[in-house]
Amino acid sequence: MRLSEARIGQEFEILAVRIAREVGRRLADMGFTEGARGRVIRGGAFRGPLQVRIRDYDILLRRCEAAGIEVLPLGDLPAEGTVGPDFGFRFRGFRRRGSDGRGRREGGGRGFRGALGACGDREGPAAREGGS
Amino acid sequence: MSAPLPRVIRIALAGNPNSGKTTLFNALTGAHHKVGNYPGVTVEKREGSRVRGGRSFRFVDLPGTYSLTAYSLDEVVARDFILDEKPDVIVDVLDSTNLDRNLYLCLQFQEFGIPVVGALNMTDEAAAKGIEIDAENLGRVLGIPMVKTVGPRGTGIEELLDAVEARLEAPDEEPRMPGYGAELEAGIDRLRSLLASDPAFAARHPCRWLAVKLLEKDEHAARIAAGHPRGAEIEEAARESVRWIEGHFGKDSEIVVSEQRYGYIRGAVRETVRVIRKPNFSRTEAADKVIMHPLLALPVFAAVLWSVFQLTFLIGEYPMGWLETFFGWLARIVESALPGGLLKSLVVDGILGGVGGVFSFVPLIVILFFLLSLLEDVGYMSRAAFATDKLLHTFGLHGQSILPMMLGFGCSVPAILAARTLKSRRDRVATILTIPFMSCGAKLPVYVLLAGAFFPDDAANMVMLIYAIGVALSLASSLFLHNTVLRGEPTPFVLELPPYRAPTLRGVLWHVWEKSWQYAKKAGTVILAASVLIWALTTFPVREPAPGEADRRAAEYAADHPGAPPEEAAAWAEISRATSDLEYSAAGRIGKFIEPAFRPLGFDWKVGVATLTGFAAKEVVVSTLGVLYRTGLEETEESGTLKGALRADPGFSPRTAFVLMLLTLILPPCFASLAMIRAELGWGWLGFVVVYFLALGWGIGFAVNQIGSLAGFG
Ligand SMILES: Nc1nc2c(ncn2[C@@H]2O[C@H](COP(=O)(O)OP(=O)(O)O)[C@@H](O)[C@H]2O)c(=O)[nH]1
Repeated sequence: MRLSEARIGQEFEILAVRIAREVGRRLADMGFTEGARGRVIRGGAFRGPLQVRIRDYDILLRRCEAAGIEVLPLGDLPAEGTVGPDFGFRFRGFRRRGSDGRGRREGGGRGFRGALGACGDREGPAAREGGS
Repeated sequence: MSAPLPRVIRIALAGNPNSGKTTLFNALTGAHHKVGNYPGVTVEKREGSRVRGGRSFRFVDLPGTYSLTAYSLDEVVARDFILDEKPDVIVDVLDSTNLDRNLYLCLQFQEFGIPVVGALNMTDEAAAKGIEIDAENLGRVLGIPMVKTVGPRGTGIEELLDAVEARLEAPDEEPRMPGYGAELEAGIDRLRSLLASDPAFAARHPCRWLAVKLLEKDEHAARIAAGHPRGAEIEEAARESVRWIEGHFGKDSEIVVSEQRYGYIRGAVRETVRVIRKPNFSRTEAADKVIMHPLLALPVFAAVLWSVFQLTFLIGEYPMGWLETFFGWLARIVESALPGGLLKSLVVDGILGGVGGVFSFVPLIVILFFLLSLLEDVGYMSRAAFATDKLLHTFGLHGQSILPMMLGFGCSVPAILAARTLKSRRDRVATILTIPFMSCGAKLPVYVLLAGAFFPDDAANMVMLIYAIGVALSLASSLFLHNTVLRGEPTPFVLELPPYRAPTLRGVLWHVWEKSWQYAKKAGTVILAASVLIWALTTFPVREPAPGEADRRAAEYAADHPGAPPEEAAAWAEISRATSDLEYSAAGRIGKFIEPAFRPLGFDWKVGVATLTGFAAKEVVVSTLGVLYRTGLEETEESGTLKGALRADPGFSPRTAFVLMLLTLILPPCFASLAMIRAELGWGWLGFVVVYFLALGWGIGFAVNQIGSLAGFG
């Protein structure tokens, strides 16, 4: 599954980083490599950034970057993750369609849009290989 | 084998961000350092030295990075420094609590073929977390001598220097290199021997490093390799190796290289590091439960911001008063020492008045910087970025834009410099373009004067409103720019979250000193020049008073105000002379010339002149108005006379006062900030900033004035 779909408290093992070029490379540099284990600590409100513990340190990344990281869930889902304050706060109304990285319109250069869309554009290796 | 040691050892100090590099640099070099820039780029370069036993250790602090690709300017600078300057030794600072990721950078330095010494920093924290490192063994396994240090206490500094000397005294016959596993080594070896086949090339470039970089599809390495006599052959071989690796591993070759590097590190760490307890994050965890709580993070951030400003103004009031007194005293001394005339006017009104006025804000700014540096060193700024990233990102900004934006409330100059922490140029430009909307300390007196004069019942709320409008405009403007001139992708948000750490007073003071010095330098040069320019504009051409003018004015005043004491009439005559002088001067003429532009906003030429002088420094608007409204030359925002005079002017109303506050907020920032923008972004963006803010300020002023008058606001 994707790291962006992992629940709070979920432990995982990295299978692959599927973000093209620079960002994928950066994540690999920061220790997101196949087999590395980590844990989702918390996520910001309104689908804000995720705090992930990997290789004994903590890192913040946006959910759309996390959507490009394929992970294998480990162990049982901790009880605290299912409900509780960390997780009860997902205003679906504020989410743009496809903000989890799938089904976003590609290219998307036209029209007036919030910057949220730009993050989505970065996902999916295929979408970006053509970029500068 | 032993080589005679040079008398001067050139050392590059490298390491991850947050590894304690700055603290260690300070401990190593004491007070002997200078700050500059790396040539041609806006990345800070700190140099310092330490003399021991007749030998000089010269340190250059490389920018803190996680890797050495071309991901950010910092990485390029660090890489080019090593390649071009070829230091004698690289000292790599490692955070012992997080060895895997820190060694990842360290090993890349080893590949340059330059001796590397590792400083295992934060060993106190590692010990507290139950991490036991066998430094000697780790050093042997990697071929990198390791010395344990604790930066704030200066522990291990001498041993570190010993290790540097020992490393140079006994160089390796065959430098040790990190291994990438049999599959990659075959390709690396083939490329390396191809590259080394030309001795002249091999003497200039580290061949193994290049070979690895070619497998990582690094463009910079490809360009270097293209200069090899057998460049085409090498390019073909590299392409073939990459193809093979990607086929074999089923992923990008640069990812494979990085995974193999981590694999090599894991092997070394497994042998030499023992974790006797599970890593303990408890203290940081407990604090973050509240500070980073999804619902509370933003309110906590707002509370922190609010407290910072409250404290700043609370403490800053005193030294600000002292400085004002001091400059007033200085002006009086100079006034009595110098003969009358233009020179005196230049020194007293131009230089002391202008620069002194700006310098009295220094305490406010220093205190604000102190508090923000404290937050930064404690580790709060990453949390603030976490709290605000979603909001800022929605408007085309970045979580890390928050520090420059906050500094903007103090002074734009250091705020613009602080935008350097943003890695991409697009984000840097976007952030810098928000800073003028943050009401800096110098705009406050103008707000206070106008709000006090026209909204006496809710002056404080009015000032708050203007601040809020500034923030709202900054976001709206970012979104607009994001959809127009600053299209393109905001960089991803991938930010380390360090644990909370007790800052050292020295470290914080050092940061404060750096930022304040940048400000003071600007105040000393650009603001000086601007003050002199504005003085000249408001002084020349000099008007020759008509004979008996003063007496005539005094008589007029006496006739209008029967029973007024003669001193009052004399004072009136003096001020009215100053006003006529100003009207006659170049600034007065320019004000009249641009009056048509200010008419639609509801102003006459006086406001034009005041706004013009505001470019030297925004608070000068107040003293210019003081002269123009004949209330006194020593006008301050507290004195009631200017307020009264403004209220009495039929041209002024609450509506126009509000518009003038908006103009002060939005019109292009002062000369010092503009100079800073030019230094950071170049002439093109400077031109854009001037035009953009002029257009925006005028447009908003016009709209508010027209709508306000249609809606019947007085
Ligand atoms: N416990 C501990 N804290 C340290 C050590 N070295 C630095 N620090 C703290 O870590 C924080 C970051 O240090 P700094 O030198 O600014 O890191 P840089 O980002 O690498 O330059 C500061 O609050 C330092 O006081 C150390 O060896 N042990």
